[in-house]
Amino acid sequence: MIILKDVTKFYKTEHGKNYILKNINITLPDENIGILGRNGAGKSTMMRMLGGIEFPNKGKIISSNSFSWPLGLSGGFVGKMTGRSNVKFVSRLYGKNRQATNDIITFVQEFSELNTYFDMPIKTYSSGMKSRLSFGLSLAFNFDYMLIDETLSVGDAKFRKKAKNALLDKIQNCYILLVSHDMKILQELCTAGLLLHDGQLYYYKDINDAILHYQDINKGKK
Amino acid sequence: MNSIKTIKRRSAVSVFMAVQKALFFRELGMKLSVGRLGFFWLFFEPFAQVFFFILIRVEITKHNGNQANFDYAIFMAIGFVAFNMFKTILNSSKGAFQANKGLLNYKQVKPIDTILARVLLQLFVTTCILLIFIFIGFILNYDIKPQNLLMVIIGYLWLLIFSFGIGLLVGVGNSFFESIGKTVNILSFGLLIFSAVFYPLIKLPIIAQKILLYNPLVHFMEMIHSSYISTLDDRFVDYSYMFLWTIIPLFMGLWLYTKLQKKIISQ
Repeated sequence: MIILKDVTKFYKTEHGKNYILKNINITLPDENIGILGRNGAGKSTMMRMLGGIEFPNKGKIISSNSFSWPLGLSGGFVGKMTGRSNVKFVSRLYGKNRQATNDIITFVQEFSELNTYFDMPIKTYSSGMKSRLSFGLSLAFNFDYMLIDETLSVGDAKFRKKAKNALLDKIQNCYILLVSHDMKILQELCTAGLLLHDGQLYYYKDINDAILHYQDINKGKK
Repeated sequence: MNSIKTIKRRSAVSVFMAVQKALFFRELGMKLSVGRLGFFWLFFEPFAQVFFFILIRVEITKHNGNQANFDYAIFMAIGFVAFNMFKTILNSSKGAFQANKGLLNYKQVKPIDTILARVLLQLFVTTCILLIFIFIGFILNYDIKPQNLLMVIIGYLWLLIFSFGIGLLVGVGNSFFESIGKTVNILSFGLLIFSAVFYPLIKLPIIAQKILLYNPLVHFMEMIHSSYISTLDDRFVDYSYMFLWTIIPLFMGLWLYTKLQKKIISQ
């Protein structure tokens, strides 16, 4: 359960405040939630706020669940350090013991298919290699909720298929918060939908209703 | 979908410890991975600095025949190591929040953790450097025995807390006003000369002593020097002045930080 209490979030721009949420009160039951909205409506911010990485300007977001970092994100990697030591860093960050750390390292090494590059500094990686590493890293940890921000496709076709299957496997055991413009993926992975529009938040029990509303907005209707 | 396993909660303390440990080793790894000689430079740099200042000093004393009644090499070594600890913490705290933005995607990492980790790393590095200096002194047959070891350690640790307070304050300030960082850059340029790092205050004219004593670092340096070297005393050290300079920035920094933490994260 994620509870939003009187939540307001805005960004200051030159033309005043740009509201993403205005005094929102809602309780979200635990399920796979897709987040929809037009560009700049604040989907990513919304996802990050629900995941506790960002904070509202006013109000509170309360949840007893654990949330992942956004899937496939390579922020916080040190270019000078090897893939292995970066993986080690993250597993230290989550207080894993030696055994668990070794398991994680083995998993990421095998999943990312980096071979010898795994022991080379990350700055020598191509962007595809980097995202393979961070994708594998995300899959190596367990959370109640996984945050996914439009990063379902990484690497070449073969790896993409493997990544998608691994992810589908993974989300059997956790919930997801998914930001995407791809209606097909939203329908496939999510049961409920959150729609952001003009500072308002619409919650739909059925993702298809959220998609219909979203398409109406795109056609220019209210 | 029914078989959701709830992940085991960790206590706040164990989360904090895990984050500090991870950040500490990350910072250490970054320091050591500068080329292949990272480890060498980490320790050679302060050594070279002290060495050059001793050379200059020896040249000066040769010409005016002004012999001191204590060992200048030891005097400078402990002074420079302490000063470098302060300066490194100050410099690395300044941009710590911006430099570690990416880490904030991991929910348990808070901006202040990054500063704290750098302070702890500096404590570790300083300890190593001191031990190496002592080892070198031992080999070269210097009289390395401190007059009051406990006071030396207290002096260093106190300076560390002082540095953390100033660093935190500067870090918070700098993330809202970049001119604070620039001002600190300019100020720290002159600090080495005006902080009694490589000369004892007692050798200066009284008027210069009076002015320099407004600088809290002078008190720290005098304290550390006088507790290590038996022929020097702490007559200039005003412990309550040091105390004020420690707690006021520290609590102001912590207060501002708790007020502004969410803003710093959302920047």
